[in-house]
Amino acid sequence: MTETATPTSALVVEEQETRPGFIGTSVPRKEDRRLVQGEGVFFDDVKRYGMGFVHFVRSPYAHAKIKSIDVARALELKDVYGTLTGDEVAILTDPFFEMSVPPGSEIKDYALAVGKTRFVGEPVAAVVAATRELARDAAELVEVEYEPLDPLVDARRAQDSDAPILHEDAGSNVVWEGVFDWGDWEGTVAEADRIVRIKELHFDRFSSTPLECSGCLVEFNRGTGQWTMYCNHQMPGIGAIWMAPALRVGTDKLRFVTQDIGGAFGNKICLHPYFVACCLLARKLNRPVQWTEWRTDQHTANAHGNERWFEETEVAVKADGTLLGFKTHAIDDCGAFPRYEPLGCIIWAQVTPGCYRWQNVYVDFTQVATNKSPVSPNRGYSRMQHLWFTERVIDIVANELGLDPVDVRKRNYVKADEFPWTTPNGCVYDSGDYARCLDIALELVGYDGIDKRRRDAESRGKLLGIGIGSTLDSGTNNFGQSQLLNPELQFSGNNEVATVKLDIFGEVVVTLGTVPQGQGHETTAAQVVADALGISPDDVTVRPGHDTYWNSHAGFSGTYASQFAVTGLGAVKGAVDQLAGEIRTIAAAVLGGVPEDAVVLEGGFAKLRENPEAAIPFMGIGAIVNANNAILPEEARHVTLNCRYVYVPPFEVPDTERKYGNLTLTYASQIHVCVLEVDPETGAYEIVDYAAVDDCGNRIHPQIVEGQVHGATAQALGAATHETFTYDEQGNLLTPNFYDYHVPHALDMPPLKTGYIESPSPFTSLGAKGMGEGGGAGIHAVCAALQDALRPVGNPIVYDSCNPPHRVWELISNPAESRGRISVESR
Amino acid sequence: MSEPVAQKTISVEVNGTTYEREVEARRLLVHFLRDDLDLTGTHVGCDTGNCGACSVIVDGTLLKSCMMLAIQADGASIETVEGLGADGELNPLQQAFGEHHALQCGYCTPGMLMSAKALLDENPEPTEGEIRRAIQGNICRCTGYVNIVEAIAAAAEAGR
Amino acid sequence: MLLASVEYARPRSLDEALSLLAANPNARALAGGQTLINVMKARIAAPELLVDLNDVPELRGIRETDDGLELGAMVTYTQLARAEEVHRERPILAEVAAQIADVQVRNRGTVGGNVCSNDPTNHLPPVLVAVGATMAIAGASGIRLVPAEEFFLGVYLTAVGPGELLTGISVPRRQGGDGFASVTIGADGTCIANAAASVNGDVRVVLGCVAATPVVVEAPSADDEAVRKAVAGAELDPPSDIHAPAEYRRQLAGVLAARAARQAREEAA
Ligand SMILES: Cc1cc2nc3c(=O)[nH]c(=O)nc-3n(C[C@H](O)[C@H](O)[C@H](O)COP(=O)(O)OP(=O)(O)OC[C@H]3O[C@@H](n4cnc5c(N)ncnc54)[C@H](O)[C@@H]3O)c2cc1C
Ligand code: FES
Ligand code: FES
Repeated sequence: MTETATPTSALVVEEQETRPGFIGTSVPRKEDRRLVQGEGVFFDDVKRYGMGFVHFVRSPYAHAKIKSIDVARALELKDVYGTLTGDEVAILTDPFFEMSVPPGSEIKDYALAVGKTRFVGEPVAAVVAATRELARDAAELVEVEYEPLDPLVDARRAQDSDAPILHEDAGSNVVWEGVFDWGDWEGTVAEADRIVRIKELHFDRFSSTPLECSGCLVEFNRGTGQWTMYCNHQMPGIGAIWMAPALRVGTDKLRFVTQDIGGAFGNKICLHPYFVACCLLARKLNRPVQWTEWRTDQHTANAHGNERWFEETEVAVKADGTLLGFKTHAIDDCGAFPRYEPLGCIIWAQVTPGCYRWQNVYVDFTQVATNKSPVSPNRGYSRMQHLWFTERVIDIVANELGLDPVDVRKRNYVKADEFPWTTPNGCVYDSGDYARCLDIALELVGYDGIDKRRRDAESRGKLLGIGIGSTLDSGTNNFGQSQLLNPELQFSGNNEVATVKLDIFGEVVVTLGTVPQGQGHETTAAQVVADALGISPDDVTVRPGHDTYWNSHAGFSGTYASQFAVTGLGAVKGAVDQLAGEIRTIAAAVLGGVPEDAVVLEGGFAKLRENPEAAIPFMGIGAIVNANNAILPEEARHVTLNCRYVYVPPFEVPDTERKYGNLTLTYASQIHVCVLEVDPETGAYEIVDYAAVDDCGNRIHPQIVEGQVHGATAQALGAATHETFTYDEQGNLLTPNFYDYHVPHALDMPPLKTGYIESPSPFTSLGAKGMGEGGGAGIHAVCAALQDALRPVGNPIVYDSCNPPHRVWELISNPAESRGRISVESR
Repeated sequence: MSEPVAQKTISVEVNGTTYEREVEARRLLVHFLRDDLDLTGTHVGCDTGNCGACSVIVDGTLLKSCMMLAIQADGASIETVEGLGADGELNPLQQAFGEHHALQCGYCTPGMLMSAKALLDENPEPTEGEIRRAIQGNICRCTGYVNIVEAIAAAAEAGR
Repeated sequence: MLLASVEYARPRSLDEALSLLAANPNARALAGGQTLINVMKARIAAPELLVDLNDVPELRGIRETDDGLELGAMVTYTQLARAEEVHRERPILAEVAAQIADVQVRNRGTVGGNVCSNDPTNHLPPVLVAVGATMAIAGASGIRLVPAEEFFLGVYLTAVGPGELLTGISVPRRQGGDGFASVTIGADGTCIANAAASVNGDVRVVLGCVAATPVVVEAPSADDEAVRKAVAGAELDPPSDIHAPAEYRRQLAGVLAARAARQAREEAA
């Protein structure tokens, strides 16, 4: 055990601009009081009279035909309420909608396996019983006869002529493929002094594994034909778009209710197959049904992050380290069903050149299905894989050309005075100063003294390495990017909703469309509302969670893709500005027909600017509009004090021919630096120093921002050091729960040093940028630091995103293997 | 002679209140607390005993309630997160968790608080290393632990 | 997460516990439950009857004897890590016990459970073999003593037969020095490989995680080279898994053996 040094203190490098009010200050979080008392309401806390517990019967095979299913013995058990099988599902529902073009669009995805299973853990039947334990007993009595088929586990083999085909309807394992060709690759090659070739890089499978698993309690109302789901779906709008057509109803028949969610990180977006099964059971059995996913279920059969291979990469470089362009063939493994995919095939393009001024990029991208768990947009979704690739390329190029990784970065970063910067594919980086962030990070780890530390480590038999991870957190999607995959898709832009009302006794009540999972939305929304109305956040009630009945959501509502500070708070700002206007309207009318701009809002009163004695409390205004409106003049009677606002970011539909256009609104940046020491005899290593510098524009609540940086960094360090979903040749997951899938504990985390700068976004109302997903920088930084540390022992190349001790030892004991992946051509 | 039983009426004191319930021998203590007593502050985050979300204090011993049977707790006195504050007031640990932003989603928090309480009950002046060791059995996927460690140190300070 | 139906009994004496076990061939002793309840949650094990040992007084407590220590089978890791007697007589036991898992697991998990489950990655089996412990096993025909070296028979298999219980472990007083080294999955995590060593004139190194049972290696001396050579000569055939290919475990065995021996050597000096 190492005693770790004192924890973080944020290095404040910018004289904090003084902003009046609560925005920009770390007010106490509204969520905390209930949560520290154990009085949060998570889905599994909800109970209903007579509810039954659902247990899924899951496939033990990665790939098999289902020959028969017999539920008779399960039904014989006392207090078993009923069952559901794939055959019923195929009759009662339609397959979920697929986003891809052929062949991917031909894939048939149902709530339960129909005819065939395609990954270990796939649900093939469900049982409902009076207790959790009994439901499992009964599930064990369901007899399923399988005919095992060869599984496809390695994505690189998916297109081989003898590869097993997962989806016969599609006739191919390719879900989507396309070429992205921006700039002039051939011209770049001609211009280059060196071509660095990298045979293969691999971004491993892992996921953020929220501590709370998924689940729902579903009630069916026979009278109205409506389902209510108390659940932890993080994106109900999209959930309803999948579920309603499958269930052959309108979205009005689906009500999602969430209060507290125990983390989600994208892993709770693709819950629709499970929820549809539960909806069918609630209707069939005419009773509430409850499904709790256990950890092993979550790991084997819910949502992983995308695994990606980068084959035959070529990098065009000038002798001085100026990067001209790159070419690669990406193979993305989305597991057995695409679900949210193939969106990941395009999302990476939001950050095509990473933090760099690369102008020529050629990517041949193929996504394939394999007999593994499906994927879901895991924190850093698709950009993380790509940014890891670009950072690996930078460090490999620096290593092979004998250049300093700091210099190569600084030479090629987009410069502070070049923003807004347009990438070769038309994305617009709004603001930033990457070089400055890097300097701060290097200073935090004492870069100047690094040689001395290297020698000190050496004297203790250790190898010290330092590595940089530069990354972007692109926030607020333009869903028009889906048209780059499938021009037929009628998605574009983005939206988010908030409602702010002043109630009869003067209560200020906010409802959000977002579905928070720990990001503190109740608090930050209250800050924005308080500032606009001249009250305190304590005076603002923000309803926790989400309820379809609030009518406070739109098609893209949810918490994902680092956008709340922009879309969520943009909606809150729009709504509260409207409400403030309405309050002024009433006050102006009641206080004697003065113009509205003569009214100011302060301390819970609407007052006349010139005569503060003339004031009416919010309570009075609420009461007049709600219960005493006959006193109002005609021109004030339209006022409802219940303002709903839909924030729509300024996007256009991208050019689908050229795959060109702006795909995201804001670009927060994170520069991490990692210092580690490797034990060369065992490959075990310890991170001894770590700095994370963040720039997310104006920070609404600095403490929450810093918390996101810590958390995202911890996830990245887990992914870099241990977390991997690895399968054996039969398609069995070898890390199916926290016993073998090791996530960082308090003792595993190094002391974190954090710093920040604020480069306000010119494109958002609060100057804020979405953030929270940029922690991936930690994976890049660890890989870079390992490569640096191992230079004296054969200079191996770090080619995988996850490097547990055994892989480090393999790099050390056989450097030639990884060095064989690299070649440099001088021209 | 103690006869084997498949179920039994047990009597358990939780946060000062005594409950009597019939339980099956196979029922885990965590499910007894959550489902039978509706004390849902204690959470479940894994199925292998790794995460600590279910941590409670039984007869003065911190343990994970997913690895103990409810029937084993017959006659025991149990402390859970719901019992930490008196009359709705937050105790210094709960207070410090809020002030130091030691929780995001709050799912690990009840277990984390129980581990922190067990630590401070025994060692009112822990070092940072001792704090980290004390919460090593509690996984948090949101915070990276930095603020949790700070909050526990601050609560210890406040308690002095 | 959900157990199959099971019966439960809580005997108040060793005799009672033994007769409950004898009466039902599908009964299992329940100690700390930190392994057994987990395998029951996974329904890998589904005994008919759990015989809870927590109220059996004969299995409790740590005693100092003329030769060293007597550990009751139900002594927890926390007790082991804290007991003054242990720090006095055989401190390596406390040192290793404090590294097992986390506070909660240490508060419940027992010495007896650790060795009776004989998971090849567990911490205590190699240590107890290295220190030359003796296990006391009680059955219908009384108590028999088994040296630790002969106690571990296979993965999850020990000398404790059906209807028997491990009652205690006696550990001789330290004469020379002891050592322990491991590479774990994360800090204080499950062992990928471990080694325990005891130096008292002769050198005894015991390797964990490289076979179904602890592997004893006798080295001519405790210096690094001699130990590494002895390990290399042991022709280990370690298992491969997600955390370590066999080749890597073999490498670790040599490195960790040398480190454990170094600690023992320095302690003995
Ligand atoms: C998260 C976690 C991490 C862990 N990490 C580690 C680790 O790093 N290293 C490590 O060594 N262990 C580790 N363990 C396992 C832990 O040490 C267990 O406590 C131990 O393996 C079993 O001890 P127990 O007292 O809990 O026994 P139980 O689980 O109750 O019993 C285990 C087995 O032993 C039998 N048994 C128990 N006592 C007796 C007896 N007196 N006579 C006969 N049979 C008996 C039982 O019938 C059962 O088959 C970990 C456990 C968890 C939950
Ligand atoms: S639920 Fe008990 S340790 Fe995870
Ligand atoms: S706050 Fe979410 S798991 Fe800890």
